[in-house]
Amino acid sequence: MRKKTSPISVILVSSGSRGNKLLFRYPFQKVSENTSSATSKQRSPYVLNTSGDSVEDQDGDSRFSDSILATILATKSDMCGKKFELKIDNVRFVGHPTLLQAPHTIQANADTSVINCMHNLSRRIAIALQHEERRCQYLTREAKLMLAVQDEVTTMTETDGTPQSPFRQILPKCKLARDLKEAYDSLCTTGVVRLHINNWLEVSFCLPHKIHRVGGKHIPPEALERSLKAIRPYHALLLLDNEKALLAQLPLDCSPALVRLIKTCSAVKNLQQLAQDADLALLQVFQIAAHLVYWGKAIIIYPLCENNVYMLSPHANICIYSPLAEQFALQFPGHDLPSMLAKFSLPVSLSEFRNPLDAPVHEAQLIQMVVWMLQHRLLFQLHTYVCLLVPPIEEEPGLREEELPLVTRVTGRSLSTPSALSFGSPTSSDDMTLTSPSMDNSSAELQTGGDSPLNKRMTETLLSSLTEHERQAILRVPAAQNPEDLRLFARLLHYFRGHHHLEEIMYNENMRRSQLKTLFDKFRSVLVITNHEDPIISLFQSPPD
Amino acid sequence: MNKNSVLNMGSYRRIDCIFFSEFHPTLGPKITYQVPEEYISRELFDTVQVYIITKPELQNKLITVTAMEKKLIGCPVCIEHKKYSRNALLFNLGLVCDARTKTCALEPIVKKLSGYLTTLELESGFISNEESKQKLLPILSTLLEELNVTGACTLPIDDSNTIHLKLIEQRKDPLVVQEYDVPVFTKNKDHFTKSQWDLTTQQILPFVDGYRHIQKISAEADVELNLVRIAVQNLLYYEVVTLVSIFQYSNVYCTTPKVQNLIDKKCLQEECIHYVSKLGQRTNLRDVFQLYCGLTPGTTVRDLCSRYSHQLQRVDERKLIQFGLMKGLIRRLQKYPVKVVRDERSRPPRLYTGCHSYDEICCKTGMSYKELDERLENDPNIVVCWK
Repeated sequence: MRKKTSPISVILVSSGSRGNKLLFRYPFQKVSENTSSATSKQRSPYVLNTSGDSVEDQDGDSRFSDSILATILATKSDMCGKKFELKIDNVRFVGHPTLLQAPHTIQANADTSVINCMHNLSRRIAIALQHEERRCQYLTREAKLMLAVQDEVTTMTETDGTPQSPFRQILPKCKLARDLKEAYDSLCTTGVVRLHINNWLEVSFCLPHKIHRVGGKHIPPEALERSLKAIRPYHALLLLDNEKALLAQLPLDCSPALVRLIKTCSAVKNLQQLAQDADLALLQVFQIAAHLVYWGKAIIIYPLCENNVYMLSPHANICIYSPLAEQFALQFPGHDLPSMLAKFSLPVSLSEFRNPLDAPVHEAQLIQMVVWMLQHRLLFQLHTYVCLLVPPIEEEPGLREEELPLVTRVTGRSLSTPSALSFGSPTSSDDMTLTSPSMDNSSAELQTGGDSPLNKRMTETLLSSLTEHERQAILRVPAAQNPEDLRLFARLLHYFRGHHHLEEIMYNENMRRSQLKTLFDKFRSVLVITNHEDPIISLFQSPPD
Repeated sequence: MNKNSVLNMGSYRRIDCIFFSEFHPTLGPKITYQVPEEYISRELFDTVQVYIITKPELQNKLITVTAMEKKLIGCPVCIEHKKYSRNALLFNLGLVCDARTKTCALEPIVKKLSGYLTTLELESGFISNEESKQKLLPILSTLLEELNVTGACTLPIDDSNTIHLKLIEQRKDPLVVQEYDVPVFTKNKDHFTKSQWDLTTQQILPFVDGYRHIQKISAEADVELNLVRIAVQNLLYYEVVTLVSIFQYSNVYCTTPKVQNLIDKKCLQEECIHYVSKLGQRTNLRDVFQLYCGLTPGTTVRDLCSRYSHQLQRVDERKLIQFGLMKGLIRRLQKYPVKVVRDERSRPPRLYTGCHSYDEICCKTGMSYKELDERLENDPNIVVCWK
């Protein structure tokens, strides 16, 4: 059954002063119809790619004779320059009539985004053709060729009596026809189209629906774009091909920045470092990275490091007969994929995975294996997310171990809080003048001193966004007596909604993992911690079809 | 349950205009009636008329053409007879929508309407008779209003003909139902009138409790397995049930990113607390969230119960798991045995390939988990993957 993202055929139609002509179509009809032999002056020709999905009738548009196609697809001039869409029963024609040409693709019952993508391809080919037509009447020449061949065939048929498809004859003679055929073939298979119109202008296009699929369903381009926008400097770019292979695929006139980036990138380097090493602006690195991801040449990961925790992806194919298992065995002789994957059944950190007693050579190979598994979307990374959830009001009795007076109302800028902090036993409260907190100060820290009024005010302000009940619960935590800890907690409060993982907090706040973990531990009675994949980039971590 | 309420006729599938077009013997293709009046401009009609009143090859086909920000859906009809001037009557009753509308659901309506009109013309010359043709205008008005408001229309035309139309929402194909899947109602069971469903479904309904899997339902309701599968698939199609996995205390689950929805969405919180609380009790958000977050790889439900006994005082763990699965807050980690080492003499593994989970193997072979575990633990050639 034809997939819904593949076109049914490619059609080129022209409409001019002498009527409408079907110039070319591919794949060919089994039996050709006789076309009229009038040649026409190309004043407003149209190119169409048709694609469709008809479950009952595989040869969707072979029901349409050449002449009827010419009529229905040759639109009036007011429809030029805009997307053209026509659906007849199960076959959809999409295109872009231009005063010169426009390829059309059809997809009945397909996603709007697929149609839009096909239309995009139409438009690109149209623009290229328009350019070449203006420059050297490329299209006119090709069209003449096509019609000439059609005439030949018609006359031959009349004499021989054997019906033939004129389009088959056109192929060897006509470059444009070959280009259209190639576009069709590529769309049906890889989803990537690369043409050189008139051997000069390049038209490249990719159908993200074919390239990015998760467990059988394609990722809609909108989701893809959302994810690409969420890439952060602490992410890394993981190439899906080796460097040489990727460089070989690039066109000759590609940007040197792209080449530099590909040569410099690595699974352990984050994008910020990559920008420095490749001597590019961060924004440029983002754009190139997004471009590579869109084209299915790379994915976004968190850079490899000791503390990364990985787990087997639910979409991973762990069958012993899978092609992946074979590839793995070739790449890493002596090891089999399922055994390796079994080790990731429980979340395991890279440091745990590597046995420190092993020889260094073996260690390096293990890292390569992890990279390989990431490239093939077999693993995903788990991150820690934190959420502020205070115990409800009825639970208070359980927490009243220390005899703490109820905290007085903490309003905006009242300075009563500092004294309220020093409740409980005298020993802890007086030790508040800590010289340096155990953590590094990021630029958000105003003073190093613990108890300054400014800092306390900041803490209050930060805590003022909470409900009274939440504030009290936090202040009841023993660690809250330490103003440094409380201040840090208050400063990080906005991360505790379950949407920012540990690494992001580390990056944004310039903190170490151990500092954060200690803080979480101290405030565990009001926090809930869970681990799961990052929903934004997990889009890229699922295997294609 | 009112299936129509799901349709939500708003701008989503709004019909902007209904028109009746025909080939006039002297004036050529024209729009004879349209509701609302003057909706289709002269320009628009000129552009698309070749797709409305068409050449013979395109007749009786559903044609949707997009132009000038509008979509026109029609089905051109041609009735040939000597009595007509030019020996043929050509007409087309079509709908106009905004170009961005998804119009698949409207196509059957258009086809049906063209069928009705054809019948009316053949039986009583409804269209060719100038007097009766005028009745089309109020008919078009009624159609437009009722289809937009309720998604259905029943309209008597004359003594022997009534138009029945209904917009059917197109749904995705449901998943294949396996023997070890467990169907659970997404809406309250009591809201259904039993007689709405076919006999097989009625027979299995009492056994669909969110805990019994397909194989068990088949055995206890005494209905053939495939029939149960099909009935449940039907229920799935109408989104009346969803599928979860078999519950066992030895099961392992883990959270998905969607678990944060419990924090973000107040209505989900309420629904959850109501669903998972034990009878006569009411748990709180923190307890529930802690329980879900306590589900991690390597932790069985049994482990959860012993670690979080305090939180589980007011929570039914089976309902907790059920709710979590239904809403995608947690997912089940299944065990897949894989035979990695084997000598050439032994047969290739049939079930231990990494493609079949414990659930599936136990269901197919009748073994219990414990038995399967014991069998595999002692086999050094088998590794187990969880995913």
